[in-house]
Amino acid sequence: MDMNQQQKSGNDPLVEFIDVGVTKLSPAGTTKAILDRISFTARQGEITGIIGASGSGKSTLIRLCNRLDDPSEGTILLNGQNIATIDPLLLRRKIAMVLQKPFMFEGTLLENLQRPFLFRNMAPPSAGSNEIARVLDLVQLSSEMLDRDARSFSGGEQQRVNLARALVNHPEVLLLDEPTSALDRPSTARLASTLSNICHSEHLVIIVVTHDLYLAEHIVNHLIYLEEGQIVEQGVGTQMLAMPQTTTFRNFLAKPEREQKSFS
Amino acid sequence: MNNPHIIPLDVIQLVYAYALILLSLALARLQHIGHEKQLLWSSIRMLFQLIAVGYLLHLVFAVNSPLPVVLMLLAMAGFSLQVAGSRIKKRMPNFYRVVGSSIIIGCGGVTFYFCLLVVGYSPWFDPRYLIPLAGMIFGNAMNGASLAAERLSSEMHERREEIECALSLGATSRQSAGEAIRNAYSAALRPTINTMAATGIVALPGMMTGQILSGTEPIIAVRYQIAILCAITGAVAVTSFLIVQQGYRRFFTDAHQLKRE
Repeated sequence: MDMNQQQKSGNDPLVEFIDVGVTKLSPAGTTKAILDRISFTARQGEITGIIGASGSGKSTLIRLCNRLDDPSEGTILLNGQNIATIDPLLLRRKIAMVLQKPFMFEGTLLENLQRPFLFRNMAPPSAGSNEIARVLDLVQLSSEMLDRDARSFSGGEQQRVNLARALVNHPEVLLLDEPTSALDRPSTARLASTLSNICHSEHLVIIVVTHDLYLAEHIVNHLIYLEEGQIVEQGVGTQMLAMPQTTTFRNFLAKPEREQKSFS
Repeated sequence: MNNPHIIPLDVIQLVYAYALILLSLALARLQHIGHEKQLLWSSIRMLFQLIAVGYLLHLVFAVNSPLPVVLMLLAMAGFSLQVAGSRIKKRMPNFYRVVGSSIIIGCGGVTFYFCLLVVGYSPWFDPRYLIPLAGMIFGNAMNGASLAAERLSSEMHERREEIECALSLGATSRQSAGEAIRNAYSAALRPTINTMAATGIVALPGMMTGQILSGTEPIIAVRYQIAILCAITGAVAVTSFLIVQQGYRRFFTDAHQLKRE
């Protein structure tokens, strides 16, 4: 079930991990592998899900994609170009990321959506602009909310604002770190549907780290199961969940705590 | 150099003064605050440090050469740095390099500007002017430096999510740490701003009081006090500015990544 062995589906691969590893130096002076020889390909129009228990290296992996951290070894390619050679500021406009805990900057919803433009020293779009209307529409938020204090929003709404804010830069890749960890089941289902729609309408590569099998079951195309920093199994999501090939993945699926919300 | 206007304090008078420390000690014990030993130790340190400085100044004044004066200023800068470092629980990366260079440039620059341009005495190293003026400037700037460094570290720690969120949206490290930098700088300046606003109403400053006690006309003493407060504000502003501007960079890599704690 190695994706590298799979035939390309006609789309060019956009994000490719080749033998990526991360090691950490312990206070005792020994090195520990957080990620070990990770290789996979995430394609346009597909949602790649990374699942695994707390401490398996999921969040470390996703942080490498937009260079919030750098790998100790291996290469990550974006459209065939090594991301280590791309200006990180430019890279992060192409590869947007929504962090695990939604963060709202001080101010209104509109001011939050304008932030990425200010970071680029560009004139921010107005409330009535097509740009703002586009992202609000994508995440199903009403324009009537634009003047509201962003910090007064509910958890689900804040997650949507974070998503909308990540999309204003017109990214090619969208990374989501545990997007449902603070959401109840109806909000999770709504977010899953939104992500699925965005992936197709915006022709994005979406990589989502999750603890929540709901997302894996309903929207993930390519699933990667990570354990202790290594890929144990990867393949088509629905097939993997229906017929786990390894004992460790079977055990993971059988654990009742697998659906617990995690902040790892 | 005996001043006929001032009453010299002899040992008996100092013993009377020290009785007030003993009174403080008794009150601390009565309240069971548990800091009696620290209070006693601090007072003994104060006693010996000031006596030692008194003799040292006597020697430096007698030699009247630039070398001992400059050495003394460097020692003051070193102690400022050591005190600032010991006060801070969570130090920023490269703390001593960042704060040390900021104190030397900020305080050193303002001290020489003040001594040469504002007071304009000659020779430039005259220890009667340079040492007390530098002492006040370094001492106050050290407080600002401590506040700037400590607040910057805590802001960078507490705002980790905000900073990484901004970085993920394409912000530079400077943009992402903007709020932390502003808050740290504001915290460093606040006590100096408050002191200026309260001076002359709430408290008479030590320098002015000292000059008046030694027979200087109050109007002249006031002018000196105004000038030194301006110098202190300038030194705190420059030193803290250099600390936050140099300091925030230490939390990031060249690739605009927030370093792991």
